[in-house]
Formats: sequence, C-alpha cells, structure tokens
Amino acid sequence: MKRRAGTMELVGGAMVLSLLAVALFAPWLAPHNPIRAVAPTFGNPAPPSWAFPMGTDELGRDVLSRVIYGARISLTVGVAAMAITMTIGVAIGLVAGFFGGKVDFALMRFTDVMLTLPGLLLAMAFVSVLRPSLLSILLVIGIVSWTGVARVVRAESLSMAQRDFVLAARALGASSPRLIIRHVLPNVMPIIIVMAALGTSGTLLLDASLSFLGLGVPPPTPSWGRMIEQATMYFRVAPWLATFPGLAIFYAVLAFNLLGYGVLRRRSM
Amino acid sequence: MKRARSRHARRSGVGAAIWMLAAAAMLLAVSGCSREGDGLGLPKGSSVLRLADADDVPTLDPAVGYDTLSWSFEQEIFDTLVRYGDADIELHPDIALSWQSSPDATVFTFHLRKDARFSNGHPVTARDFRYEIERVLSPATRSKGIEYFRSIAGAGDFIAGRTRHVAGIIIPDPYTLVFHLTAPDPLFAHKLAVPFAAAVPRDAVERWGRDFSRHVVGSGPFMLKQWIGGERIVLVKNPWYFVKGLPRIDAIVDQIGVGPELGWLKFEAGQIDILGGIPPAEFPYVMRTPRLRRLTLSQTTISTMYLGMNCQMAPFNDVRVRRAFNYAVNKQKLIAVLNGRGVVARGVMPPNLPGYDPNLRGYAYDPARARRLLEEAKIGPDFHPTLWLRADPTTVILAESIQQDLELVGIHLDLKPVAWGPLLEAIRQPRNVELFLSGWEADFPDPENFLGVLLSKQQWGGNNDTFYSNPRVDELLAQAAPMTNLKKRYALYDQAEKIIVADAPWVFLFHPVSYVIRQPWVHGLVLNPMRPTRFERVWLSPHHE
Repeated sequence: MKRRAGTMELVGGAMVLSLLAVALFAPWLAPHNPIRAVAPTFGNPAPPSWAFPMGTDELGRDVLSRVIYGARISLTVGVAAMAITMTIGVAIGLVAGFFGGKVDFALMRFTDVMLTLPGLLLAMAFVSVLRPSLLSILLVIGIVSWTGVARVVRAESLSMAQRDFVLAARALGASSPRLIIRHVLPNVMPIIIVMAALGTSGTLLLDASLSFLGLGVPPPTPSWGRMIEQATMYFRVAPWLATFPGLAIFYAVLAFNLLGYGVLRRRSM
Repeated sequence: MKRARSRHARRSGVGAAIWMLAAAAMLLAVSGCSREGDGLGLPKGSSVLRLADADDVPTLDPAVGYDTLSWSFEQEIFDTLVRYGDADIELHPDIALSWQSSPDATVFTFHLRKDARFSNGHPVTARDFRYEIERVLSPATRSKGIEYFRSIAGAGDFIAGRTRHVAGIIIPDPYTLVFHLTAPDPLFAHKLAVPFAAAVPRDAVERWGRDFSRHVVGSGPFMLKQWIGGERIVLVKNPWYFVKGLPRIDAIVDQIGVGPELGWLKFEAGQIDILGGIPPAEFPYVMRTPRLRRLTLSQTTISTMYLGMNCQMAPFNDVRVRRAFNYAVNKQKLIAVLNGRGVVARGVMPPNLPGYDPNLRGYAYDPARARRLLEEAKIGPDFHPTLWLRADPTTVILAESIQQDLELVGIHLDLKPVAWGPLLEAIRQPRNVELFLSGWEADFPDPENFLGVLLSKQQWGGNNDTFYSNPRVDELLAQAAPMTNLKKRYALYDQAEKIIVADAPWVFLFHPVSYVIRQPWVHGLVLNPMRPTRFERVWLSPHHE
C-alpha cells in the first residue's frame, strides 16, 4: 500500500521535473525558433515529418518548438498563479480558522460569495478589463481560485488552534501572529503542499481555457491554449495542430495530479 | 464625403474601413433550394433558394443600412433609379429608363419607367425617390447616407428644417426627376445607385414608423415574407416586379446563425446551395479537388487592405520608417496564408478600379533595404510599436505573419486585437493609434472614393485614419474631383497616387479575391466586384436533396 502511493508520487514528481527541464532548457531543446517561419507552409499546415516531428502550422512555424516553448508560459502561469492562489487562500483560511467567531464568520461568508461566482466567467471579466498580459493572467487566476484552499486550510487550522501545544504556547504569552506562523502554519503545511500540487493542474487548465477564448498571453508567445484555439480553424484538415498542444496540457495536468494525490495518499496512510 | 460601408455584417458605425476577409467569409453565406415550402405556405414544387449567414441582418430599411449584409437584401427588395450590372460596375437603367447630365455636371435629369409598382400594387413615381432622399437627409433618421446627397442644392436648408422639400430636387411630372447640385459632381449618378436612394412608398413608412425595417415594401424582384430575428429571413417573388419572367426562383430563405465552418458542413451535405465563406482551412482542399473546384466562382473585389501608420506620431512621422515597413512586410506570404485569395497591392487603388495605374511599382519585399532605412532613421532594438487589429481569427493570423516579417528586421511588434467598433473609434482619434490593420471597399468606381476619402486632409478625424497630409496631394484631389474629362481626371489622380505611394502612409498590402462555391444545380450566378450578389436571375435545375 505504502509503496504504491510512493510510486504515484515518484512518477508525478518525475513528470513535473521533466516539464521543468523542458521549460528551463527550451532554447536548447527546441530545434527551431518558435516564432519564425521555418517551412513555406503558409495557409496550408504540413503534417508531421522527419524534419518537423509535429508538423508546421499555417504560418510555417515548427509545432514541436512551439509546444516546447509553450511549456514555459504554461508552467510560469501554473506555478506563479498557484503561488498567488495559495497566498490568498492560506492567509484567509489561517486567520478564519485560528480566530474563529465573528472573524471566521465574516471571512467564510465572503468565501461563500466568491464560490457562487463561476470562476471562468469571473476570470474572463477581469482579463477583459485589465487587458491580457502575463501579469494580469497571473493575478486573475489567483483571484478567482483561492476559495477552495481557504476552506480546507480553515478547517485544518480550526482544529490546530484547539490543540494543547497551541494552548501551551498561548499560555506562555505568544502573540497571535506568532502562534499562527510558528505553530499553526507548519502543521497545516502538508495539506497546503497537496492543495498546491492539485491546484496547479487547475490553474493550468484555467490558463488554457482563457488562452483558448483569446484572453491569454498575447501572440506570438506560444501558449498551449492559444495554439489549440488557432488550430480549431484547421481541425478538419490539420488535426495535429490541436492534438500536440492538447497532449502537452494533458501531460502537465496529469503530472501535477499524480504528485498531489500521491502526497495526499501517503499522508492519509 | 461618402463613406464606404463596412463589408462585414458588423455594422461599422460610420466609415468604411472594412476587414474584408471576414467580409468575404461571411457575407454571401449560403443559399439552398428546396422543392417544398418548409412550412412557409409556398406551393409544393416551389423553387426555393436557401441562404444562410453567420449574423442577423442589421436592418432592411434602405435609409439606414450601410453594410454588405443589409445591402444584399435591400437590393433584392428595392429599386433605385440606376444600378450596376450583375457582374459589372457600369450604370444600367433600373427605374430610370434614361438620364442626362448637363455638360458641367451640375444638373441631372432622369426619365422613369411607368410600369414599375410596389409590392402593394401602388405605382412607383418620382415622388417616392424624393421622399426617400429627404428621409436620408432628415436629421431625425440619423442616416449614414446623408453625405451622399449633401451636394444637392437646397439640402442644407432642408436639413436645417427651413424648407419642406429639397429645393434642388424638381419633379416636372410624376415620371421625371431633376437634380440640381451646388457644385459639379460627375459621379452623382453613381450616388443614386446605392440603396439610400431607393424608391420607398410614403404610406408604408408612415404606417410603420421606426418598425418599417420589419415591414418593408419595395418595388424590387422580391418582397419580405417573414423575418424572425436571429433565426431566418424569407423573401418571396414580387408578383408586381416590372421585369417579366424575373425572378426565376420563387423564394429565398436565409438561415441565420450559420458560421463558415457549419456552413461548409451544410454545403457538403447538400443543404445549402451557395456558400460564400469557404473556411480558410478547407480552401486548399476545395482547390485540389477538381469536382469542387469547378463549382467555385471568384472575383477580385474593388478593395484594398492596408496597414495604416499614423503620420503624426513618432517615429512614423519619418518617411524612412514608413518606407522601411513597406519593404519589410512580405505581401506574397500574406497571400499564401490566405491560400492565394488576394492580389499584392502596389498602391492605393485596386486593379479593377477605373483609373488604376498598372505601371505603379510600389514596394518590393526587401528586408535588407528596410534594415538600412531603419538604421538611417536611428530606430533601435528597443522600439516596440503596437499594431491594432480586429479580433477575428483570420486577421490575427495575417497580423502574426507581419509580426514575423518585422522581427526579421529587428522590430518587435506587439499585437492588440480589439472588437470592430472600438477599433474604428480608436483609430479616428488623433495621435492615439500608431499602427492598425484596415481596409476599404469602393462604394462607387472612381479613384476619388479611395484617394479623396482616405488620404485627404479634409478627412482627418473622418476616414483618413493615418492623419496623412500632403498639400500637393490635396491640391491635385481638389482639381480632379469636379473634372468630367475622364482621361484628365484619371491622370490627376494618378499623379496624386504616385506621391502618396512615395510618402507611404500605409503599408500597401493586398486586394482580396472573394470566392463562392455553389451546388451543380445552381445556374446563372455571377459575382460583382463591388456589390453583393443578386439572385433574381439565378435558377435551379431539378435535384435531390
């Protein structure tokens, strides 16, 4: 049992690491410049071949190189947006759970209100107002997806706040911020890590959705969601244009999910 | 002066910049034929042409409509004094059997036919034309066609409410119509070939008021039978139409909400007879397949797509930078991206516009020369201009192609796709947008409709969105406009165009070629380079659905 959970985690971890490596070493791994035309397939995308294993698109760009560079945008957005999500969610969850009472009530009702708003629609509204850019995408994804984290962290810290070691620290005169940061936070950390891994796959998908709707990072920066969006026009004649970025999203989401569930499963062993 | 309409169904507000492909892509949409009435109350065996469009028709009121989709229906329902041929851009008689202009082009006389009737049975007379032109001029209508008729004597007084009728429109008898103009205008008869100048029955307009668009009555080959917003429009044969034997089909059913991809599937399934917007991705397949290729029709449109550079904003106030952009953009590649559906532009005017100069050289693709010019102008690698464009997939692909080309000469271009309306608003503000993609389609076949409307100083804040100005060009345009001798007229416009091309306020991109595909049982279909397709001569041979 224990070993299986470890396998899941390991595989997920290895997949995440491979993604990181691809993103980091993209300029060395990509056979071509992802923006330039490398084959004269204008208006007539070419299928995979030895020279271009994933084919070339309607502007003569190498799809493989674009998928490789796309990992950079997707991972940056996935990880950075997750950091923002976690910061907001963990802060609200900790404060609500630790203080309880009116503070808890107010923060949780606010969270409930946020939960009633459909994430994708809210994100679309924000991006339209802020104009699409890397930074605005990060902020928007962070702002719409912290609610789940806040609820889980609140539940954990609620029980932590009642534990003897917290009471003992309080009796010794520790201030509330100190109690939260030194005593409660470290004990809810494992669940935060799990939430972060699972949430990253969620933000990856949200980013892809926004890009697909034309609200992602502006062109020519290759992003998987936008690649699929542009490929829809050619879907019947050049399905590979959509397939490869689609597989890339699938791989990335699977990687973070395996990692997250792996950690979760071992924790609950 | 006159503004070309937006080619695409998006009602463009004023002005006519058109982003054409979208235009070509959706405009003609589809038509089909059915032998039963589809529950429309048509007798069994009726020949029905089914059309489909992505967007609903903005309006059917000819005083209001100023986009291709509205015009394509308005020209089936209404008649004008004169009209263009089905496939040409010459003026032909419509309700007017003959017409004359005074030698100085200030007085125009039209003699009307006596057998034309509205679909309610009332005869069409000169009063119906005056009524419509006065509706357009009346500020209450807020018509975008007002510019067409401002040059009629007394129009100003009428607009200001000082007179009941326009003094310069005289009706000596019910079948004669005389226009007096304030200044010579050799093109005036062309301005009466737009739907703004169609005959409209006063009683029907007064009965329905603002709702006239939904209850239009005209004298054209078809009449409106049903219009369910967002769903379909049905036109049926007008039994009173003055040309005997036309239209050859009994009805047109236009299905709304069918985009290019769905349209293609429906065409392949035989549910649609004529498809205007072959999706770009399917286009190469159609051309490779002889069976399908034979079913296509194509036509170079009288329009020009361009990348505008704001001549009042640095560094585009430097002609070297503007020329560098012209050398840097690979226009052949743009046409390849469009699967050959375009002709490289060498100047402002499209090849089939009268007055076009085939010897104009324009700018070849020469990145090395572009780099030299940019160096001379001291443009460094930190220059990041932003290109505004309409947010539709084809336009974005074209913009990305331009972005690739500029990257090769060291310019990193940012793209800003926005909706059509806001784009037109933004480029009209001075010193606001440095680069934009736009286009223009002729309202009538004369160089004035391009050079004067798009590049004279008079049009700053109107249609001259690059805020280009050259006193010599303005002088030539003013000289040419009233000239009736065509040879001299075109020579002056030619001189003006050469200066404009040298000044390079635009990157001259291409002239779109529109393609239509129809089923083998559709006959008599021809395309017009400047106007939507007419259907009254189309007929359908027997076929299975």
